[in-house]
Amino acid sequence: MLRKITINWNKLADFRVLENPFPNPERIFSGLDDINPETFLDFLDDIGLVGMGGSGFRTSEKIKASIGAHTLVINGVECEPGITADQSVLLNDSLWVAAGANACAKAVGATKVILATKDGGISLDDLNKRYGEFSMERFAAKYPAGAEKLILKQLTGKTPPPGLRPYQWGYLIQNVVSLRAIGRAIIDGIPVMERPLTLTMPSIGFYKNAVIPVGLTIREVLEVYKISFDPSTHLIADSGLMMGHEVSLDDVIEKTTLSLFILKRDSAWHDERPCTRCGTCNTACPLGLHPYSLVERIKKDKVSSAAFKAQMTECFLCGVCSAVCPSDIPIVQTLKEGKKCL
Amino acid sequence: MSIVSPFLRMGSRSSGMAAWALLALLVPCSIYSVLYDSTFIWRLIGYALIGSMAETIYTLIVKRKRRLVCTGSAFTAALIAASVPTSMPFLPMLFSILIAVWIVKLPMVELPLRFNAAMAGRLFLMLMYPAQIVNWGTPTPDVISTATPQELYRSEGFPLEWSELLFGRIEEIWEDLFLLVPGSPGETFPLLLLILGGVLCWKRIITWRTPIAFLISFGVTTTLFGNNMLFNLCSSATIFSALFIVTDPVSTPMSKSGRMACGIIMGVSNALIREFTFYTEAIVYAVLIGNLCAPLLDRISFIAQGRRLNNRTLL
Ligand code: SF4
Ligand code: SF4
Repeated sequence: MLRKITINWNKLADFRVLENPFPNPERIFSGLDDINPETFLDFLDDIGLVGMGGSGFRTSEKIKASIGAHTLVINGVECEPGITADQSVLLNDSLWVAAGANACAKAVGATKVILATKDGGISLDDLNKRYGEFSMERFAAKYPAGAEKLILKQLTGKTPPPGLRPYQWGYLIQNVVSLRAIGRAIIDGIPVMERPLTLTMPSIGFYKNAVIPVGLTIREVLEVYKISFDPSTHLIADSGLMMGHEVSLDDVIEKTTLSLFILKRDSAWHDERPCTRCGTCNTACPLGLHPYSLVERIKKDKVSSAAFKAQMTECFLCGVCSAVCPSDIPIVQTLKEGKKCL
Repeated sequence: MSIVSPFLRMGSRSSGMAAWALLALLVPCSIYSVLYDSTFIWRLIGYALIGSMAETIYTLIVKRKRRLVCTGSAFTAALIAASVPTSMPFLPMLFSILIAVWIVKLPMVELPLRFNAAMAGRLFLMLMYPAQIVNWGTPTPDVISTATPQELYRSEGFPLEWSELLFGRIEEIWEDLFLLVPGSPGETFPLLLLILGGVLCWKRIITWRTPIAFLISFGVTTTLFGNNMLFNLCSSATIFSALFIVTDPVSTPMSKSGRMACGIIMGVSNALIREFTFYTEAIVYAVLIGNLCAPLLDRISFIAQGRRLNNRTLL
């Protein structure tokens, strides 16, 4: 496990620029003019859309469940440290995002559209210029803030019970990149073949947002940018520093790849040490859960109590507890297993 | 071993925490040493080394691993040395350190119920060497009595000005007996300890919940018994224990509410033991009682949190 990664947080990928280093894909089918719920769902399946904020969940099913929702939330609260891809999409591809949002709202019958962004990102003026028709909601710039649960909490002022899906409260929350993909398919007739992501290598000062075709290997992407690195001293982390995982050069860009970080391996490796019961994980958990108590119960297979089930359902594997643990215990990995016991 | 997320790590590491606490403990001890007893600090460091060595030997034999710097056990040993009179002979100290490290601290890792190792060592000293443990003879030659202000207060009702206690110095000769506040070396300067506590909290080495709950509940309970709250708070190890003993993460609960409850249990039982029994060093028993409750408190707060989640309703 890495102890610390030095990243110059003042220098993030600039969200004002979204590069397009690869040739534009060809128009495949004609766009969609008339949006009605049945054809729209088939259309989403045709273009192969899954939740591009990282969930990878089939969007058509989500929309189907949400029919009748009164509010559509555009989720531009990008909280993973170091990623600015969503914001660059909001700023540069506003046409597609707005088209996708309007289509979704129409399909589910939502009367209100809220654009959720985070403090310190794109200024409200810029957003109003592009999305004047939507209402704005700002979220604190901290991790985690962009989880559906936390967005719902701020919008409704009530904490949702464990396991609640937003549509049960009449909300449909869609990630910016998913909406961009919908808009692009409707206007340009291009299915989900590309995704915007943040590409960063702090050790050489490389920070960029770019639209990358899905299915390319990471090696090919890096060749375009002429980035080379030594795999024994660096590693590639995909989809963020908090929830991501290590990938190799031959893995491909998925629809759910949020970012690629090429990070220096720290020389100070730390193995897991016994828990000192310091309680840092309890204090840090954004939902007020008891991470290590959950881990103890998972390890001893005591997973049937109501309290365990409630807390395990509530946890959304944000990884904050692991990040702060002074004993470097991989808590969130055990919790992922615990999710299976539910 | 493969690298797992999160790739970002924040806050302190556990190996450094004990070292910080040890450093903080050395501050009042070295001042004491400079002012009253120049050899004490060297003895303290020696005891800390013994504690560290004891852990090295243990890990070598039991886990077949070599570990040279063991700050956790060093801190335990130093804590024992700083909280008993300086006149404690070497052999009992050695025994109590070995008991604390070899029996209470290391084999109990990962068990749900754990005790504060330093307090266990002190309990051993109190049971086996009751005469030495209350021998508070301060090293200045004109001191003849061996009572702490706490004992004098209890038996004869001499309260000392709390402000003088706070700085650990007495302006004039108190009751013709003392030039300085007698007590264990680590416990002599409450004001300094308070400042150190603030620093440690700020560095996130200790958490504020248990000690604050401990101090407040203790103060309130003693006041209810009609004692002078400030005097009791400033005298006889109360702040020292709040800073170094009550905050021990290993033997106190993990959850926030559990910590509060544990601090309150310790504070109230400390006051009760001081008021109603003739034991000296009430804190030792109070901390051990709190440790006994810790697993239960964690469990209760876990279940309570689960219930709170389940009680949330749909809109
Ligand atoms: S933060 Fe780590 S060491 Fe501290 S209580 Fe949680 S799991 Fe244990
Ligand atoms: S991963 Fe850890 S910090 Fe995040 S919600 Fe779950 S228990 Fe809490």
